[in-house]
Amino acid sequence: MDFLQSSAGTLISLSLLLLLSTCSGLYEDQIKKFDWRSVHVGSLKHAYVDLNHFQPRVLLSTHEQVVGSLCPKTGEIIWRQVLEQKPRGDIKLLQVSGFADDSSDTAAAPMGSHLGFDMMTVQGHAPALVRGWNTNIGTIEWEWSIMPLNTERAQDAVWFYSNSLLYHVVPAWRSHIEVTAYFATSGHTTGSTSKIMAAWINPESCLLSGTFYICLDGKQLISLDLVAKSTQVIATSLGAEPSSNIQDLPGLNGGLIVDKKLISVNKDQAICSDLTSDSYIVGSFNNRKVIAYADLINSILNINAVYLDDCSPVPELHLSVAFAEHYGTPSLRSFDCKSKRNSDGKNCLFLFTTTAESIVAVQQGRVRWSREESLANVIDTQFLDLPLADTEGTLENEMRGKAGDIATAFMRRITTQALQIKSLFLHVIGLGPPPTDTQRAGLVRDSFGLHKMLVLLTRTGKIFGIDNIAGKQHWKLYLPNVAGFENAEQMRLIVQRSSKHFPLQPLCAIVAKSVDTGNGVLFRFNPITGHAAEGGLLQLNYKIKQLALLSETEDDYVKGILILDGANQVHVEPKHATPLAHGMYLYTADLKTAELEGYFVKYAGGELSSLPIWNVRLGGHNSEQQIISVASKNPIEHVHSQGRVLGDRSVLYKYINPNLVAFVTQAPDATHKTVLNMYLIDVVSGSVIFSMTHRKVRAPLHIVHSENWLAYSYFNDKVRRTEITTIELYEGSAQANNSVWSSLQAPSMPLVERQSYIIPTIVEAMRETITERGITNKHVLIGTASGGIVEMSWHLLDPRRPISSTTQGREEGAIPYIPELPLPTENYINYNQTVARLRNIYTAPSGLESTCLVVATGLDIFVTRVAPSKTFDLLKEDFDYILISIVLVVLTSGSLIVRHLASRKLLKQAWK
Amino acid sequence: MSAKLNSKKSKWALDFNVSKNADMPSPPGYNPTALVNQTEVVRDQRLVIKKSWDLALGPLKQIPMNLFIMYMSGNSISIFPIMMVGMMLIRPIKAMFTTQVTSKMADGAQGTGQRIIYILGNLANVALALYKCHSMGLLPTHASDWLAFVQPQTRLEYYGGGVSFI
Repeated sequence: MDFLQSSAGTLISLSLLLLLSTCSGLYEDQIKKFDWRSVHVGSLKHAYVDLNHFQPRVLLSTHEQVVGSLCPKTGEIIWRQVLEQKPRGDIKLLQVSGFADDSSDTAAAPMGSHLGFDMMTVQGHAPALVRGWNTNIGTIEWEWSIMPLNTERAQDAVWFYSNSLLYHVVPAWRSHIEVTAYFATSGHTTGSTSKIMAAWINPESCLLSGTFYICLDGKQLISLDLVAKSTQVIATSLGAEPSSNIQDLPGLNGGLIVDKKLISVNKDQAICSDLTSDSYIVGSFNNRKVIAYADLINSILNINAVYLDDCSPVPELHLSVAFAEHYGTPSLRSFDCKSKRNSDGKNCLFLFTTTAESIVAVQQGRVRWSREESLANVIDTQFLDLPLADTEGTLENEMRGKAGDIATAFMRRITTQALQIKSLFLHVIGLGPPPTDTQRAGLVRDSFGLHKMLVLLTRTGKIFGIDNIAGKQHWKLYLPNVAGFENAEQMRLIVQRSSKHFPLQPLCAIVAKSVDTGNGVLFRFNPITGHAAEGGLLQLNYKIKQLALLSETEDDYVKGILILDGANQVHVEPKHATPLAHGMYLYTADLKTAELEGYFVKYAGGELSSLPIWNVRLGGHNSEQQIISVASKNPIEHVHSQGRVLGDRSVLYKYINPNLVAFVTQAPDATHKTVLNMYLIDVVSGSVIFSMTHRKVRAPLHIVHSENWLAYSYFNDKVRRTEITTIELYEGSAQANNSVWSSLQAPSMPLVERQSYIIPTIVEAMRETITERGITNKHVLIGTASGGIVEMSWHLLDPRRPISSTTQGREEGAIPYIPELPLPTENYINYNQTVARLRNIYTAPSGLESTCLVVATGLDIFVTRVAPSKTFDLLKEDFDYILISIVLVVLTSGSLIVRHLASRKLLKQAWK
Repeated sequence: MSAKLNSKKSKWALDFNVSKNADMPSPPGYNPTALVNQTEVVRDQRLVIKKSWDLALGPLKQIPMNLFIMYMSGNSISIFPIMMVGMMLIRPIKAMFTTQVTSKMADGAQGTGQRIIYILGNLANVALALYKCHSMGLLPTHASDWLAFVQPQTRLEYYGGGVSFI
């Protein structure tokens, strides 16, 4: 009997699982219909343009640990290999055969042999991996590795390649340099490690240029040729102490850039020392070595070149190009010309990287192509509604108009419709008003609110306005000299006014830190057009400690930004919204000490002040705990259902505290290795609502906090797997106050349900879906390390999943507890569109209640939409309108005909 | 009564005395008062009352039957139990509205009592059907049935903040 029951239980759970798993998935013809992906490589580290290869190519490595090859004509990626994460994947050297610093380069080998290499990379330090690549298809041909004896010292190691030998240079600061030479392709060492005494090396100002190890020491450069037979120290004196760091000049052995001038420490290498430029590169033109240099003057990029041997200018290579402001300041990285002999310079391709992390290729006096690689580091996104079409706009105006009596409302309606008919008529005969810029670009709101402007803020301060359906970049903006805040807190993208307030334009703001002063910077712009608004850039004269968005607005519908400065003073931008800040609460969290401070903002007598009202110390008894994560709820979230229906049809009311914030701290522990604490704190009153401890558990931690629940993933050190713990809070069978929520008169402690699950993957990001009214079920989007995004139903993560299969649980709709969470492939919303280095997932509601817009960022960007409860408010796209209308017409006409026939028959019968 | 008798007579016998003297004295031993059939009238009335009581008690008598049907049909929501519950609910209500018609027959002395009993019986049937609806979960009697109408709480306090930027 028992067996029967349990088997029945499993059967039910299996069938439930099957039912759930059939809910999602994509049909084959829907691939790329609702989604798009843009693929990036990251900001440029090393680059080689090679137009004379049998297959012209641009080989590159980036700061995102990517090696790849671009098409020199279009800039498209031919192949891309995403290497390991830092520090293991950190690319130290990219060597392409034919691009060695000295002319004696013989690395190119016949095809199919294992002796040479096409491209070689050195990455990491312990172990250091040396890889040879096939540059045509991007595969690894060979690989060897070394494990240094002293891993700490190896962190600062540098590598260079000379004469088929790969040199590993390990500096021991203020002591000596260890140089080991390896045969590049095999990894065999050539002999013993040579130790060169050099007490003058220090970590701040040393670098490698070709085969020379150079250090700046006050007013002189001390250098050493590492491949020379005799280790002779060369001192080169400079006129004055350089004001900036010294840089090496790639492509020239012993060449250096000091204060925009060129200097050579190599006695055999002449250099044109009277040039002044921001960026130099050495290349060859008509079989002579040239130095090309580029400067940006008043948005015009000037490229010049001189022959290296006699410093005479190369007129063929002179170019002046209009350079868009949003690229930032360019720096020349590589150039190459198509034919080596008798070239007129018209087919030379110059490759630039810019401060806005773009890759720009200049050819024939214009920008040939550019790649926006700052999109590999998106830090914040917002979805904004597009502006209304004209007709809808007037309708909206009419709806908003202060309703007078019926007669005036009727008159207004009639006049609007007359105007609409007139404009329609004018439009038909071709005399209508010209469409606005946004309308011409197709940026008009659709009826379901699915078409939105996706605003992306990147780490460099470049902002993009992208169409979320087509993926087209409509505008780009670059804010130079801004950076993220301390404690790894990024810049913020804030929506101050949404698109709902027609005819007022939407307004967004970026809050950042000025690189020069460290003070706050505010930049306001129109997210639809990408133009600065309300004065644009505003330099604040104080440091920003924290900020908040005010909940109320003035008549202009602009939500003010409340800023807490370093001296705990509060400010509001724009200034006229200052009185609205009264009654706001603010809190700050110190990561290191795990201390929380709560403030009350008071407006009295024209003065705004902050009053400290509570503080909480989460540091533990020995103050070792550090905050590793803070998670608050999405402020635009609506909770439709206020409770949960139990098996006996009573209601368990949800504990929906909008002021609840989850804090997670971690500390090393003597007996348990690491201890993780989770606190739920009401940040208005400062009371700790709930806390929980996990032992032998550590970061990486990802957390989702929504409605009355919390889900967080962590690594369990004891059993070495990733787990997800879920928590739900309930008020009980009655609500303490069913009309208002006040944290200061909060109900008693909530009931807590908790459960842990095993997830058989590594979690990189988590986010809940969100919809307009919150009626649709919530799913949790889990980004995995392999680049997939899994849509996980809350039914599976539910902490109320019963351990034993009871009827109560079954009637409640809960699936019996199974520790492992299933990851069926049809639940991957990005099917095979892998997002490399997935870092974050953002969600936003669409105009349809069923649909939620999703953007996943990382190295790549993936934009799609999900419908957690299926598209219940939308006809399927394969809905057969024709069949339905044919059936309707046939049935109606059929019934009419039959009625006629029937009446005729009756008449005939009557005559009989 | 006499008309009834006359009609009986005319049906079965020829009356030869009609055209002759109608004022003939009654035969000896004939008691004209004894001619009124007292017992028959009393018996008829009792019959009518009995019949009316049968009608009035009909709904009450249905209750055990209904209980049995209810027990047999179970609490699952499917077409047959729903149809049965519907019939059980609609029939007594219909019957109650037709009370006037049925009670015309029961105009007698016990008419009011019968009517009350009849209505009570029907009400009991309705109650039984409602109980069935309730046990089937068709009545919005639980808090969960009104959950969709519970408005979200408006929040009084707003907060901002996070990890310190300095």
